[in-house]
Parts: sequence; structure tokens; C-alpha cells
Amino acid sequence: MYLYSVCDQTKMDKRCETLDKKSCYVCGKENLNKNEIGLTKKLLDKNSKYFYCLDCLAEYLEVDTEFLLVKVEEFKEQGCILF
Amino acid sequence: MIYADNAATTKISDLAFENMLPFLREQYGNASSQYSLGSKSRQAIIRSRQQVAVAIGADPSEIIFTSGGSEANSWVLRSFLEAYFNEAPHIITSSIEHHSVLNTCHALEQCGVEVTYLPVDNNGCVSVKDVRSAIKPTTKLVSIMFANNEIGTIQPIKEIGKLLNERGILFHTDAVQAVGHIPIDVHDLQIDFLTASSHKFNGAKGTGLLYKRSGLKLTPLVFGGEQEQGLRAGTENVAGIVALGCALEESVADIAEVRERLTNLVHITIKRLKEVIPKISVNGEGAVRLPGIVNVTFPCASGEAMMHLLDMKGICVSTSSACNSGKDMPSHVLLALGLTEQEATSSIRISYGRYNTLDEAEKIVAAVSSAYSKIVANH
Repeated sequence: MYLYSVCDQTKMDKRCETLDKKSCYVCGKENLNKNEIGLTKKLLDKNSKYFYCLDCLAEYLEVDTEFLLVKVEEFKEQGCILF
Repeated sequence: MIYADNAATTKISDLAFENMLPFLREQYGNASSQYSLGSKSRQAIIRSRQQVAVAIGADPSEIIFTSGGSEANSWVLRSFLEAYFNEAPHIITSSIEHHSVLNTCHALEQCGVEVTYLPVDNNGCVSVKDVRSAIKPTTKLVSIMFANNEIGTIQPIKEIGKLLNERGILFHTDAVQAVGHIPIDVHDLQIDFLTASSHKFNGAKGTGLLYKRSGLKLTPLVFGGEQEQGLRAGTENVAGIVALGCALEESVADIAEVRERLTNLVHITIKRLKEVIPKISVNGEGAVRLPGIVNVTFPCASGEAMMHLLDMKGICVSTSSACNSGKDMPSHVLLALGLTEQEATSSIRISYGRYNTLDEAEKIVAAVSSAYSKIVANH
């Protein structure tokens, strides 16, 4: 016997999705994508309070965005599930 | 780029590189061949064996070339299973050994070998008293690393060698981090088996060595030809062996001068780091350590993040943890020292080598300070 309906499950999924949504600490860009969230966790701290969009993170770390995109591919290749 | 991960690997020295090159090109003869081209390769191997023997106080006949430290470590330990197959032998090792020793021991346990893993103190030192207490009538071998790869702590090898020699127990030491960096005399230290790796002392990757005291038996690793006393068959890696002998001779020639310089770099690095980040702790600080290794734990800053931020500034250091699939795996060495998982994953290792300079050490400290500020600002 199911403890909750499919409809309830969908609502729960939506709620989780909302909770997981991050915006950029600097420019306010909303709905940061998985790579942006992953980069913040990987390069600053997995428990980081603040998150950055690609452009703001590049500026914060004094590198260019292309460099960060290359890093994303490297991390993916290494099997990191943050990306 | 500033390379400060010399405990992981080192840049091949110009001399070693130049000496190995002819054996990859015009002097490509098989050392087992009877004509002149083969003879030149054979002579080169003989010379390299002599260079190694002189460097560690051994006889050339006691040196066996391998593919590296891991192969040699695994070989020595596994050999005991075959030698004492029906006796369920006991082996003593430490909890902070390299995985080539630890994982071999785990495999041996599955085959009925009893293994005791000795603890270490908070500086990463094995106690001779603990070794003595762990000895059983069935103890056949003790394997304790010469110096630790993550924190640089040098173990009381001479005291352990003396104890085991008195008890008639064989002594193996994984000296991968120590050979070429600190003076070693295998007879003085009463070592029976010693392993080393060429790329840790500015030789080429893919070549290592095993010292086996004269008269001791070891089961063959590879069957085939008579290479390496018939214990490790297969055509020799002549170029790699030449680079190994050359690099080791070169390292030993100026060992005191390099040691003094690296000790100074470490001293300055620790002093400056403590000035800019007062709450850091230096792992193994109270122990006698290898020259060149600094392992520091930061208050509340991920070691992995620190390593990546330094990488972005062109600085190569190592984390003490391994990142697997986004999850930090704390170092077994740092955990054995008593660090918490959080502390162990908040650590990095800076390891200087013969080519590092004071200016590079200053740049590393500045970059660590900057990276630390960026990381903690987000907490």
C-alpha cells in the first residue's frame, strides 16, 4: 500500500526543486545551474553559504570563465558528481 | 608554474634525462644480447646497480630493479605468504603505511596471514615499544615505512632494525620517500628489505628498486629469463635504470646541502603561514621529518578547495584527502594521527624539492593566504 499518492510525490519533488534553487550572491542571477552550484561547492566549500554564477565566480577567483568551464569538464571526467 | 608536490613525483634531473636518452635511441640493445650493442646496455645496468649500492651502503648483488615502489612493496609482502604457506605467519606493519603495503596486507589477511597494524602517536611516529609488544612466536616480518609520504615523519628505523635483528625477525622498510633525501645505510640500520622509487628522487617514472640482503630468499615475481637474478624476468628497462642510478648518485652527492636548503624553506613556510593564518596546525610538527614536507590543517577550509584555488594560480600542492565523486575521503594517515574527519579534509601537503626556491615559498604563502580568505568568506 502506498503511503502517498503520485500527486503528493510530484508536489514533494517540486518542493525539493524549489529548496535546491540557488541565486548568485553577487549579481542576484536566479536559478543557478548545476555546474555553477557545483563549481561553488568544489572551489570554495561544499558547505558554502553563498553561491555564484559563472561570471561572478570567475571575477571572485580572478580567472576567466573559459578557464572555469574547462575545470567543469575536468571534474566531470574525474567522475565528480557535483557536476 | 610553481611545483610543490615533490612527494608525489619529481621533475627528472637534466643529467638523468641526458644519460637515459641514448638508451631510448641509438643504444637500444637488449641487455641479454651477446653482441656489442647488448653489452653496452648490460654494462649500463651494472653501473647503475653499483651507483645504487654505493648510495645505500649495499652490495650491487643485493639490488634488484623493479617497476617502482608499489611493485617492490607488494612483492616482499606476498613472498612471505608463499614462503610460509602452511604456517599462518604473522606480519607487523603500521596504520600509516602506503596503500601498496596496506592493501597487500589486507589481501594477505584473506589468505590466512595475521597482520598487526600498529598505531602511531599524534606526530605519526611508530613506537619501538609497540613493535616489541606486538611480536609473536609466529612473527616473520615487520614492515615499517622509513618516512611517511603525507607528513614526512621519519620512523625510528635504526632502533626497530636492532630489535628485529636480535629477535631474528626480518625487517622491510618502504623507503620510497626517504632514499635520495636522507642518508641511508642498510647495514648500519639492519634492514633486510628496502624499497625505493626513481621518480621520487628526480629519476624517471616506471623504475624502482628492491634491496634484498644477501642470503635472503624471495620467491620470483615473474618467471621467464634470468634477468634480475631470475627473480623478475623480462627485458630490463635500461633507460629507466640508467636514469635511476644517475639521479640517485646525483641526489646523494649533495644530500646535505639540499636538505639544509629544504629545511629552511619549510621553516620559512611554516613561520609565514602561522603569521597570516594563526590557527593553522602543522601535522607531525613535533617529529623528526623529511626535509621539504609541510602538511597543514586549516581551520574550517576545505583542503580540496584550497588545492584547486592554488592550482588556478599555477601552484601545485596536494590534498591529504582523495576526492571521489565529490565526497572528500579523509586521509588514513591524518586520521591515524587523531585528526577528525573535518580536520583531515581541511589539510594540504606542500612538498618542496631540490628545484624550489625561497621566492616560490613566499609566493605559495601569499597564495594560500589569499585562497584561505576567499574560502572562509563564504562560510
